[in-house]
Amino acid sequence: MEGKVIVMTSGKGGVGKTTVTASVGAALALQGKRVAIVDMDIGLRNLDVVMGLENRIVFNVVDLIQGRCKLKQAAIKDRRIDNLFLIPASQSDDKDVIKPENMVWLTNKLRKEYDFTLLDCPAGIEHGFKNSIAAADEAIVICTPDVSAVRDADRVIGLLYARSITPKLVVNRISPKMVENGDMLSHDDIVDVLSIDLVGLVEMDDQVVVSSNTGVPLVTNRESKAGMAFQRIAMRLNGQPDLPIENPMVQRGFWRTIGKKLGRRNKDAK
Amino acid sequence: MRLNDLLKKLVNKQDSREVAKKRLKFALVYDKLEVSDTMLDNLQSELMEVISRYFEIDQNAMNLDIQRSDDYSALVLNTPILSARHQNHAQAAQGHAG
Repeated sequence: MEGKVIVMTSGKGGVGKTTVTASVGAALALQGKRVAIVDMDIGLRNLDVVMGLENRIVFNVVDLIQGRCKLKQAAIKDRRIDNLFLIPASQSDDKDVIKPENMVWLTNKLRKEYDFTLLDCPAGIEHGFKNSIAAADEAIVICTPDVSAVRDADRVIGLLYARSITPKLVVNRISPKMVENGDMLSHDDIVDVLSIDLVGLVEMDDQVVVSSNTGVPLVTNRESKAGMAFQRIAMRLNGQPDLPIENPMVQRGFWRTIGKKLGRRNKDAK
Repeated sequence: MRLNDLLKKLVNKQDSREVAKKRLKFALVYDKLEVSDTMLDNLQSELMEVISRYFEIDQNAMNLDIQRSDDYSALVLNTPILSARHQNHAQAAQGHAG
């Protein structure tokens, strides 16, 4: 059976696209799938450092497309997580060296080798974005609870619909406390404005910074709430689409927690 | 936090979250209504072509515009008609068929 190609996109930069891509990819691999993550940000590569694979790069995606290497040479194997591979971006090439038809060729190759291919799309809606969506089967749109990020997400969702792709949404960096205080858009507000299905809610988590500092995959850290949220997103992509979406909540004292647990069941499922 | 909420209610201050949601909804509606000048120009020339099959119009006096109000947006086309084209209409229709 052929694998799936999923584009991870946001329009706006700095919403955590690369972190989400690296983490969901690692989680899928931990769940036993063969996963390739492709950094589509030609000229500004990032995924390699986030994933801790920066000193193992020999070939990149442009080399692969231009026939200077084989797929097996360009795909860097993660030594900590089985079945996880990174195809890095080129740092020196110009971003228009890749054309949409090159991506169709590349993804056809990748679908045969990997169960999941995640394309980490650059910010913006220009060249890199068009290349990334040219060959994708599915799309995940990432936004944060900021007006600017939601507005850009809306634009990107419109462009994906125009290509007959129905994207799903990840809301990243939710601060439950701010939502409760009425100082941050809730995921319900965002879903209401964008009219799109959710695939995950991710809480603001300091461990994300720690993980990218060290290059250690976030999803291997059981203490990290964001890491666990990424695990659940991966499960939803990997044959469990109906896994309930957990709403990030403010941590309370012991008795309040008990109270919440008792009254939680109906609130939780959405 | 509870006290904070109470204070907010007392001074009747709207949550910044509510403000954000309202602003976003407006921004998205306006984004979708944005029409580029080239699109408007193309529309005008195509409309002119169609109308000219049936009426003789003063092409320079034709005016196409989008008028916005709070509730709706309207496309307004204004053109003086010089005369109707009875014969030419039939010819044009034939030309189409052929």
